Amino acid sequence: MKRIAAALAALALVAGCSGSDGPPIVATDVVVTAPGAGMPMAAGYLRIGNRSGSDIRITRVSSPEYGSVEMHETVIEDGVARMRAIPVLEVADGETVVFERGGRHLMLMQPAGEPRTITLNFYSGDVLLLSISAEFGSAME
Amino acid sequence: MQPRNLLIGLVLGIAIAAGLALALRDSSEQAVPRNATILPAGNTLPDFALLDQDGAPVDKTVFEGQWDVLFFGFTNCPDICPATMTVLGQAKRQLEAEGRQPLPRVVLVSVDPERDTPEAMARYIGYFGDDNLGLTGELAEVRKLTDALGIFFQKAGGEEAAYVVDHSTVVLVIDPQGRLKALFSTPHTVADLVHDLPLIMASGS
Repeated sequence: MKRIAAALAALALVAGCSGSDGPPIVATDVVVTAPGAGMPMAAGYLRIGNRSGSDIRITRVSSPEYGSVEMHETVIEDGVARMRAIPVLEVADGETVVFERGGRHLMLMQPAGEPRTITLNFYSGDVLLLSISAEFGSAME
Repeated sequence: MQPRNLLIGLVLGIAIAAGLALALRDSSEQAVPRNATILPAGNTLPDFALLDQDGAPVDKTVFEGQWDVLFFGFTNCPDICPATMTVLGQAKRQLEAEGRQPLPRVVLVSVDPERDTPEAMARYIGYFGDDNLGLTGELAEVRKLTDALGIFFQKAGGEEAAYVVDHSTVVLVIDPQGRLKALFSTPHTVADLVHDLPLIMASGS
């Protein structure tokens, strides 16, 4: 099975956060998948850990390789899957928010090339740039 | 009885009892589905007129002659649909690797026929394995099938051209006579499908 998959560069920093040991915001396990190359939509999964000393809010996600990226959540209620946009995602200090299959995910639409980067935009004005290396192959297997 | 013989008898007795208990437990695990609900009397499917992934007209007889596992989704669904189709494909491959016969066909019925052309369905189902079937067509014809099977779907929010569709996540099993035989509820796992599908198919058609 073909796929678009992306393994992330493990972490990046948000400037201006606390000076505690280690990076204040850590994003790991970033994977962008689609059943095949050229699909109009793909899903992105990752973990976002906040050790900045204060709560953070992600207000927008973008990628130069996609016309539109939204944070979504799949909720299964009474056997029905309902997918809803997450306008703002809050990550409390000390918490890790997980985007995973069947739950929170990034919905990446209108592909314009091989996925390389995703940018998380925070309410504070800071940004977190995640480098992605794209693979095509076995993400769905 | 000598004490030594008594001890030997006791040990043998315990061993036999333990073996029986183990055998009964294994037998019980084999016979009871982990997830699936097997229906004693399968409901026949309604008449409908849809298109397969090659654009060929099909009716309810397309479900006759083989076991089918059905999922209702759409090709622009980024999360739950590819995850479920992946599980179905993996389960079928594992059954094949174990030498199980018959193997079910994986079927995707589109709940977004507005965007899911036969061409889109052909490309999509091909990602999840060989010999899969994709059904799409007029919305009213899809409704005939989903209403009869208790499948819910409804267009929901999203950008105008990138709307999403809420839909049931149940996986249905159709027997070779084209009757609803069993259903799997979420969460769908390869292990449950590989365990339960042979039980369903052995329960008669």
